[in-house]
Amino acid sequence: MADARVDLAIVGGGLVGAAIAFGLRESGLAIAILDEGDRAYRASRGNFGLVWVQGKGAGLPAYGNWTQASAHLWPKLASDLAQATGIDVALAQPGGVHLCLSRRELDHRAAMIEALLAQRGFERYRIDMLDRDALARRLPGLGPDVVGGSWSGLDGHCNPLRLLDALHAACARAGIGYRPGAAVRAITPHRGAFALDTAAGLVHAGRVVLAAGLGNARLAPMVGLRAPVAPNQGQILALERVRPFLPVPVETLRQTDDGTVLVGDAQRDTGFDESLSTDVLAAMASRAVRMFPALAGVRVTRAWAALRVMSPDGFPIYAASRTAPGAYVATCHSGVTLAAVHAYRLAPAILAGALPADFDVYSPDRFDARAAA
Amino acid sequence: MLARRPDDARLAVAFTFDGADVVARQGDSVAAALIASGRLACRVTPVEARPRGPWCLMGACQDCLVEVDGVPNAQGCMLAVVPGMRVATQRGARAIDASVPSAGFAIRDSTIQALEAADARDGDATVLDVAVIGAGPAGLAAATLAAESGLAVALFDEQAGVGGQVHRAITASPLARPEALGADYWAGGIGVRAFERSGSRHRAGASVWALWREADGTMALAVSTGAPLAPVSSVVRARAVIAAIGAIERPMPLPGWTLPGAMSVGGAQILLKASGIVATRGTVIAGSGPLVWLYAWQCLEAGGTIDAILDTTPRGRLAQAIRHAGAFALSRYAARGWELVRAVRARVRIVEHVESIVALGADRVTGVRFARDGAFDTLACDTLLLHQGVVPHLNLPLAAGCDVAWNERQRCFEPIVDDWGGSSVPGLWITGDGAGVAGADAAPHRGALSALSVANALGRFDADARDRKARPHRKALARALRGRAFLDAVYAPAEAFVRPGDETIACRCEEVTAGRIVAAARSGALGPNQAKTLTRCGMGPCQGRLCGPTVNALVAHACGLPFAEAGTFRQRFPVGPVTLGEVASLPASPAAIDAVVRVPDPERSSR
Repeated sequence: MADARVDLAIVGGGLVGAAIAFGLRESGLAIAILDEGDRAYRASRGNFGLVWVQGKGAGLPAYGNWTQASAHLWPKLASDLAQATGIDVALAQPGGVHLCLSRRELDHRAAMIEALLAQRGFERYRIDMLDRDALARRLPGLGPDVVGGSWSGLDGHCNPLRLLDALHAACARAGIGYRPGAAVRAITPHRGAFALDTAAGLVHAGRVVLAAGLGNARLAPMVGLRAPVAPNQGQILALERVRPFLPVPVETLRQTDDGTVLVGDAQRDTGFDESLSTDVLAAMASRAVRMFPALAGVRVTRAWAALRVMSPDGFPIYAASRTAPGAYVATCHSGVTLAAVHAYRLAPAILAGALPADFDVYSPDRFDARAAA
Repeated sequence: MLARRPDDARLAVAFTFDGADVVARQGDSVAAALIASGRLACRVTPVEARPRGPWCLMGACQDCLVEVDGVPNAQGCMLAVVPGMRVATQRGARAIDASVPSAGFAIRDSTIQALEAADARDGDATVLDVAVIGAGPAGLAAATLAAESGLAVALFDEQAGVGGQVHRAITASPLARPEALGADYWAGGIGVRAFERSGSRHRAGASVWALWREADGTMALAVSTGAPLAPVSSVVRARAVIAAIGAIERPMPLPGWTLPGAMSVGGAQILLKASGIVATRGTVIAGSGPLVWLYAWQCLEAGGTIDAILDTTPRGRLAQAIRHAGAFALSRYAARGWELVRAVRARVRIVEHVESIVALGADRVTGVRFARDGAFDTLACDTLLLHQGVVPHLNLPLAAGCDVAWNERQRCFEPIVDDWGGSSVPGLWITGDGAGVAGADAAPHRGALSALSVANALGRFDADARDRKARPHRKALARALRGRAFLDAVYAPAEAFVRPGDETIACRCEEVTAGRIVAAARSGALGPNQAKTLTRCGMGPCQGRLCGPTVNALVAHACGLPFAEAGTFRQRFPVGPVTLGEVASLPASPAAIDAVVRVPDPERSSR
């Protein structure tokens, strides 16, 4: 393949890379998305599909605000995507609930929410701690083991696979090139630009955005950045289609627009291992059945494990390279929730050539500071 | 039509379907009973709301789902009718009554459960030596030889009786004239009797839905029994597993193949063997492969009628296969095959070199249109039986993590195994047609070789003894393989029936057309897994069994990749029907509970 030249290369065709590309689609830049092939660690293919706000930002209030901003921008994203592609990403933001199955879980949840909302600089929104009876009125079929939970009106969900499809389709229509099977092996900054050595040939780019998920850990140092992300495994059970029964998403259990019920949970440090573990599935299934006992008789159609892209403190990393100007890194474990801010806030900042000061809290420098402290 | 033999002497069983009385015979599956009564559609699909009827009759396709005694999505082909059973059409997605907890289900606190499970594990000395999965000829032979070698063996199989699909219902044949099935069918009785004497246990009606290797090297199997009315799962552990899970018919996607009345030839053969149901007037067979001729012969012998066979074997295949003809001429296949084909040709209209086929009809098959030498012709029919050869059933090996490779001669993926059936996963042997299609004559010897390897690995005898005991089986296996290359060359599927046109449904469960899969591939999906996320192909209840080969072929062609490179679906557990309640009932370790609950437990940390 002949060398390709673009103004901007996005490394990674998952939700983060595709959302940034979508945000740049009217920039006039020649853009290419470089992606791996059929078998890759793809958080965007394995995620749960929540557009979720409640509980996020404990320890970094700005992240809570960022998440809220994205939830508010999400209807625009869904409508822009529908307009550009005709694809309905099935966004619904009816509110969401976190269910607790013991007094201890409920106390822990209440304390966490209280501490979250009390943070300085946190844009407060309403999270209600509800008791069993209040929840049972809103959630038919709630199991007797549920003692209470937290409720926020900002939460919702979408169809994440259709989101990925729609982002790609919109990018394709805007003339953004998509190159699958082009895993990036090396990036060399050269005279203010970048040479990317990919499995499908060399790509020369004026600017480069690293949105390669777990691959960012390897790629970022090549452009003077750091992204110390590591895999964190989650697992999902997909049940057969059932008629609508669940009016709002539960943090670990939701019904998709096509009727499938998903049960998703678990955080495990298993390294680069996507194998399922039946005892984890058993623990997840047990909780799901205690939440909604009628699900006990519903068939499990599929199950999978996928790897979250986790930074040491769990918050996103957004940074511009100081030593190789024009290189950026963007990585997070909430590619669905944050898709709207990635498209409408992060992408314009990258286009402008500088990340505003409010991105400073997401710099990987924070990990150095922590190590030094 | 498919109809019950009038001389079926089994006891009548009355049940209802959508409120109407139906009379079946004792031993019939629900699906067979409905088909015999002329009811070809049993469900309405949840995606496009189209009528659908059974396709495979062997538990793979999930097209026979019905509601039984109020339990939705029951597999009709896997469930025997009982008097008074209330069967209803499964309409779209099932409903759940959220206000009523499932009867009889009580989940205990998972922490307590985990502690109890840990106790049970400590005190549990009943680890099997060998778990064999599948009671076809390979599995029976493997279980028999392993048990005779002094190993503790259990054989798990989904069906009520042993025999697998090839010798299905051999211990309970409904046929008044058993010779209709031919001598080879009944020869399976030798293996059955040896198994019954061997000391191996037989777990009938047991579906293995997960298989993994534990930290100490023990193999663990999640096994479900009692579906659909009272499903229960448990974990069985064994030092070695021999998977003898057989083959599955290659899909034959063509316009209208999802209509009620279109069914696989293998499915029709199961109806014949297990329920004495034969094809009668109005039946057309279309496809290619030895099973077309074997089934047609058996059906005619059993008193059936076949209007026509549309043979899709392309022109020139005999010439291409000629270099294998010498070995074939000396094989058992030649003598038997010649007889079968001659007998069928004498009684059935054969249309050769058929190039394209369309099943006609709106809500059920009413005819078939086909092209030959570019000219179209139409036959009226109500039953269209399709076949395009068989391929290894890959879901379990793939989900267990076995490496697979493309077999160019047979145009399919198969697990990579050594001479003994040893797979790339330690502790897991794969044998019989599931390890690569070689036929029923080869299967018992392949099963025996795997058992010898397992017995050697578990210390029952040394490698010299293993090799010595293997010699007669290797010799017999070589004999059984003779002629296979010729059959593979003659019956390799024609391109037109592997890679359907854009309008044809490729994924029966999610009703995804070939065109959508091709579009996904063109937009950058370089393999079946990317195509799956973009289109939902392979996400339905059959778990990609029926569309896997089609999606591979479509993506390979659209991306200009060799089949081998396009690859397979990445399969995961569960590989069989299992309810959420069953998964919930399995033991969860404290570490697993911590990974899910993530709330500090002062009591536990203080310990």
